[in-house]
Amino acid sequence: MSELQQKDDMDKIKVSPTDMNIHGAKLTRRGFLGGAGTLMVSLALNPTLSFAKTKSSGHSLNATLPASWIEIHADNSVVIRTGKCDFGQSSIYTAYRQIVAEELCIPVESITSVISGDTDRTPDGGGTFGLLRTNVLNLRKVAAYTREAVIALSAEKFGVKKEEVTIKNGVISAGTKKTSYGDVVSKQALSLDIPVSGELTEFRGLVVDGEPPLKAISEYSIVGKPVKNPIVRPKVSGETTWVGDVKVPGMLHARVIHPATLGSTLIEAGKVNKTKYPNTQVVVVKNLVAVVSSDEYEAVKAAREISSTTKWTQWEGLPTSEGLEEQLKTKEKWTDVPPIKSGATKGDVNAKSAKSLQHDYFVPFHKHAPIGPTVSLAEVKKGVITVHTHSQNPQYLRMAIAKMLGEKEDNVVIRTYAGPGHFGRSNGGNAGSEDEAAILAHTLKVPVRVQWMRHDDMQWSTQSSAMHSNIRIGLSDDGKIATYQAVHSGPPMQDDRPIGAILAGLDTISPPTPDNPFRVHNAGLFIADTWVYEQVENVAETGRGMFQIGQHESPIGVGLRDHSMRTPIQFQQNFPREAAMNEAAALVGKDALQFRMEHVKEPRFKAILETLRNESGWDTRPSPAKTAKSDGDQELRGRGVSIMLRDNGYWACASHITVNPSSGVVKVERITLVCDPGIVVNPLQLKRQAEAGCLMGVSQTLHEEVAFDKGKITSMDWFSYPILKMAEVPTVKVVIAPDKTAKIYGQGSESANALVASSIVGAFYDATGKPIRRIPLRPNYVKQALA
Amino acid sequence: MTTLMINGEKRKVNASPDTPLLYVLRGELNVMTPKFGCGLAQCGACSVLMDGEEIRSCIYPFASLVGKEITTVEGLPARWQKQKNLPDDSERLHPVQQAWVDEQVPQCGICQFGMMIKATELLESNPRPSDDDINTAMTSSGPSPHLCRCASYAAIKDGIHRAADIIATESKTSNLKQAVSHE
Ligand code: FES
Ligand code: FES
Repeated sequence: MSELQQKDDMDKIKVSPTDMNIHGAKLTRRGFLGGAGTLMVSLALNPTLSFAKTKSSGHSLNATLPASWIEIHADNSVVIRTGKCDFGQSSIYTAYRQIVAEELCIPVESITSVISGDTDRTPDGGGTFGLLRTNVLNLRKVAAYTREAVIALSAEKFGVKKEEVTIKNGVISAGTKKTSYGDVVSKQALSLDIPVSGELTEFRGLVVDGEPPLKAISEYSIVGKPVKNPIVRPKVSGETTWVGDVKVPGMLHARVIHPATLGSTLIEAGKVNKTKYPNTQVVVVKNLVAVVSSDEYEAVKAAREISSTTKWTQWEGLPTSEGLEEQLKTKEKWTDVPPIKSGATKGDVNAKSAKSLQHDYFVPFHKHAPIGPTVSLAEVKKGVITVHTHSQNPQYLRMAIAKMLGEKEDNVVIRTYAGPGHFGRSNGGNAGSEDEAAILAHTLKVPVRVQWMRHDDMQWSTQSSAMHSNIRIGLSDDGKIATYQAVHSGPPMQDDRPIGAILAGLDTISPPTPDNPFRVHNAGLFIADTWVYEQVENVAETGRGMFQIGQHESPIGVGLRDHSMRTPIQFQQNFPREAAMNEAAALVGKDALQFRMEHVKEPRFKAILETLRNESGWDTRPSPAKTAKSDGDQELRGRGVSIMLRDNGYWACASHITVNPSSGVVKVERITLVCDPGIVVNPLQLKRQAEAGCLMGVSQTLHEEVAFDKGKITSMDWFSYPILKMAEVPTVKVVIAPDKTAKIYGQGSESANALVASSIVGAFYDATGKPIRRIPLRPNYVKQALA
Repeated sequence: MTTLMINGEKRKVNASPDTPLLYVLRGELNVMTPKFGCGLAQCGACSVLMDGEEIRSCIYPFASLVGKEITTVEGLPARWQKQKNLPDDSERLHPVQQAWVDEQVPQCGICQFGMMIKATELLESNPRPSDDDINTAMTSSGPSPHLCRCASYAAIKDGIHRAADIIATESKTSNLKQAVSHE
């Protein structure tokens, strides 16, 4: 909306003397309606005024209206809307409902639906990350504005002062007078304009401004309850429509034939055998080759055949997965991207110390590896492109699709559905198939569904960045850390370019560069693992970034594309720090848990470490264990510990494992996780999240490494990219021990996912007396470490 | 044209005979709970019961399944009600599904259809499985382990034990009812 138009609208709205200022939001009334027949009446009836400056107004909700976020019906049922999506975290269906119900002072059951993700049906945009950290603040503030407006209206109706009105369990009262949300909103035509800022289709979306009074935490009664996730039942009964289930009349099924290597260009696409595949055609847009058919299995078969006759140029430009560690350690020059120092850097790390250690650590590339490969359906109707998909940042995807097709954002709608968890891969909008579906639907003028096959998802999606770290620790005579120095080096965190757009030679945002003003898309490597050992006087942490591996060398600018996963960069940096801490403790003959206790200052850390000691049955003693040895085919036992600070949440983990030196097999027997995440919104969901997050960490620690040769990723399926299986699952004990004075909502699964790796390698050292400084703990690496 | 027996109903199929059952179920018959995960019999997302045995629908040409009884998650409630002679109740879930709700098993949920099918197969032959039995069923009894990327494995174990409890209780009640009605 132009400023002129906005002024025009402002003129049309006469602020009448009955308008109210609700903590900076404007409540406008336009007369009374009858009480009857107003079942769908919501708080805002007149969406005429917009203060939001946003590029996308067509097919968007007006975020200045509370009804775009929270819709209260005359029967007291409530609908909430959020641009965030669910990937298995459950937060938008559990914690979000609890937090909004808490602010409105209504039972959580009154919030009967949550509309999420769809760009034409949700107001805010932004990515699905930090759900309880920053994102829920929008809805919480809107709820607070709404409650304050309803209190003001009720006070007026009762003829009392606002201060005399209370709301409890949905009942609004003052003395003996009573009313309800439904009553208040159904009899009037109301409009409450709330202040918002930001850009709808930018990475972080819109932010609700102002400071409406938030309910005091001491008065909470819904936050903290183990509310069940209402979408579980429709999911397990089979009622939920999943992204791959969406069908529209006349749609075609596509399989994409991706290039032979990450740098190949098309020489010639294979031809369709029309006798065998009568309903099939090949579509070529530059280097994007697709096989399209009205019959899905025909498309699968034809694609297999055509792919073997499609000719690509050959390309080599990757260091190979075997050579990656060496590449990062000795071959990269680290001159392209300015290094970044962490805020914890202080003192003189070159100060002399009695003992010291200095080691290299390595985390390989990991795959997000959703169980269902990415799938999307796109259709073009009356100039509007609709993409049915599963995305963690649908408004940002909308921007990317519009940019790619040279369309206005107004003409793009993203609809979202339940889909496989992919742990951050689409927090910049796309997971892979969305843009390819849009290009094909745009080209063919019919709806097209693109389903990636398992190998497409393994070979053509982004991956979680690899990291090489050098850690130097100096220890004083009394066995305390005198100096800590870390240099973390690796490729950038996030490439949000849609792959189909790159292949088709269409417009995209830039890949990560050293000068990108947006941190997430900058090639610089920041320190994501918050420093926790405050007793240490001399600290230096440096991140060294680079361009994505192979991207510059690739004629199509692809290479190994990086993308944040679960605990991005912090996973990669916590592993070396905590692994080195275990080794430092051993060097001075101290117990690894006690050693940490001596180096933290924060009482919350001390408290969880003490709880961990008790809950895990920790035997306080230095590592290695008395039984430790590095050969033989006995199972050797060991235990290790690690800690992490993330999103103001304090986490500690103990792993008990066995190592069989002659087979190289590592088994994790049990894990104890203690967390003080802050305010626990939902202990039931937090426990399940932490448990699963932690087990995914075990999977990464034991099995996962993306394999690639000089031209392509060679991890193609679940044999070449194995993950954790049921028989390998340890007992997981999750202890939730929140600090009662915390003022911040606790996040769940990320830290649990990230800190388990370092406790396992600590346990490995304890069991064998030999350190392992890389993951995964596959038999071949284990044997090398023990040799 | 071929006829398949899906969830107790005869369904006509037009697809070419080499089409894997998964594509027939999802594409032609609108039976959507079997999911496409790998198409390689490596993950279990597409699992269905064939005469009570868990198979991977992504690799079985449907024509080889004529005359077999195919059950998907959509058909689990009716399967249970028939086994226990319970009255038709569209609201009532199979004990495995109910346990999945009670224990809040799914994270994203995409793998859970296959997990529930495998759990049903297990519980039909072994109503009180131990952790080891569960490990074997979910890891080594089929063509590949049943994979969950969200790693909800601990919850799945809890779910199977809970389902065993529900089955035990419901079986007692239904046996009692049968005994009463035979008197
Ligand atoms: S889809 Fe059939 S086993 Fe993976
Ligand atoms: S719950 Fe997400 S893959 Fe199993």
